[in-house]
Amino acid sequence: MSANNPYLDDLSRGIIRENPVFRLLLGMCPVLGVTGYLINGLGMGLAAAAVLIASNVVIASLKNFIPPQVRIPCFIVVIATFVTVIEMLLQAFQPALYEALGVFVPLIVVNCVILGRAEAFASKKPVLRSLVDGIGVGLGFTLALGILALVREVFGHGTIMGPGPDSAILLFGEGFEPMALFGQPAGAFIALGLLLGITNVIFKKFNIK
Amino acid sequence: MRDVLRLSITLALVAIASAALLTGVYNVTEPVIREREERDYLEALERFFPEIDQFETEKINGDTYDLVYDQAGEKLGVMATVKTQGYDGTITYNLAINTDAEIIGILVVSHTETPGIGDIITTDNFQEQFIGKSFEDPIEPGEDVDIVSGATLSTGAMISSIRRALNTVGENFLDMERQAFEFEDLDDGFYRGTVDGTYGPLTVEVEFRDGRIQTIEIIEHNETEAYFVDAYPEIPQRIIEEQKLEVDVETGATLSAERIVSAVKNALEGAPEGENGGGDN
Repeated sequence: MSANNPYLDDLSRGIIRENPVFRLLLGMCPVLGVTGYLINGLGMGLAAAAVLIASNVVIASLKNFIPPQVRIPCFIVVIATFVTVIEMLLQAFQPALYEALGVFVPLIVVNCVILGRAEAFASKKPVLRSLVDGIGVGLGFTLALGILALVREVFGHGTIMGPGPDSAILLFGEGFEPMALFGQPAGAFIALGLLLGITNVIFKKFNIK
Repeated sequence: MRDVLRLSITLALVAIASAALLTGVYNVTEPVIREREERDYLEALERFFPEIDQFETEKINGDTYDLVYDQAGEKLGVMATVKTQGYDGTITYNLAINTDAEIIGILVVSHTETPGIGDIITTDNFQEQFIGKSFEDPIEPGEDVDIVSGATLSTGAMISSIRRALNTVGENFLDMERQAFEFEDLDDGFYRGTVDGTYGPLTVEVEFRDGRIQTIEIIEHNETEAYFVDAYPEIPQRIIEEQKLEVDVETGATLSAERIVSAVKNALEGAPEGENGGGDN
């Protein structure tokens, strides 16, 4: 991983080397909570990414204006604002996804990935780099949720692009009895543990640090 | 001092900007959301009452009741939109009731119950047990419907709310009348009755003399104290004043109020504990 171009580096770091889920283990609540179906996992990832990008940009542009003593409350207000915006937009234009994500949408406020990036990156770096960092970490988060959700949906439900009879594709035919455990919350822990193990092996093999 | 001022002003400015943005987005999304909710509601109406032609809206105790008519002006039933307090926040649901005062459909519109636990109230498994239940049925946990263990508060709240809604619809729109509980011919004495509450038993002692309920005392209860004060002594007073058990239980603590009434009923259904009661009162 060359660091010649800081923007490329910011982008790839969030996706791979400092992937919030697989490497930093941050923001695990939605990771475990909504990854029963691929569509929900991706939706959650994109919603969190949108909040992250917006809050990174706003916080980076306000960093000289906000006194350090009140930075955390200011960050939280900014983040909460964008979460509420996303929540209202989802409810208006993506009702099915809004229903499926339920309480996890408002809970994006307390997702430590977002506050973590605000505190560790956006409050110190220029606006453009914070934007790229937001995109990188957001994509990394979405990617991780997508992979976990795909594994859980395929094994736990035997479908892709479920739930619902219209869009779901039955992978293994009607006779397949899915491993219900993977669809359950407890199965999320097991699937996540297996994926963490696999990514660790891959990272070790390619010597990525 | 100047520092404090600067901090406060910064926070205030951030909050004002946030409020402005939220107001803008709300103005855009709110009409879309409301329009879809209305469309969903109309679809539900048509699903439960296929012959619907028009409906007229009535409000009772803050809940909405739509009286549904067909083309000939014949009443098809009532669609209630009811709000109740769940384990965490308000549950809003539609209850479709036909002219025989039977439940023909339930639709949870919105709720914030715990995912994987309390949201069992949205499942067919839970809702199907109410279908076909009528005004005459008790709709009482353990009798004809089941509380789901692990989600006691969510499902219990739904059960008693559905029972009350059905009661309201039956009495107000379908000319039904509840058979009054008769107790005039009981022997004088002290009666004790117990019902199970969410957190433990509730026991009352009823003094019955000269064909009238004289006093109602709570011997034991495990209700939440902050709510219980809304039901006691209000509900016993209403029973004693009206000399009937079919009193209005709409208080700040409707569940506790209903339990007191059930305990009194339970007491009067049993045998008296003796002329002088348990104590020397």
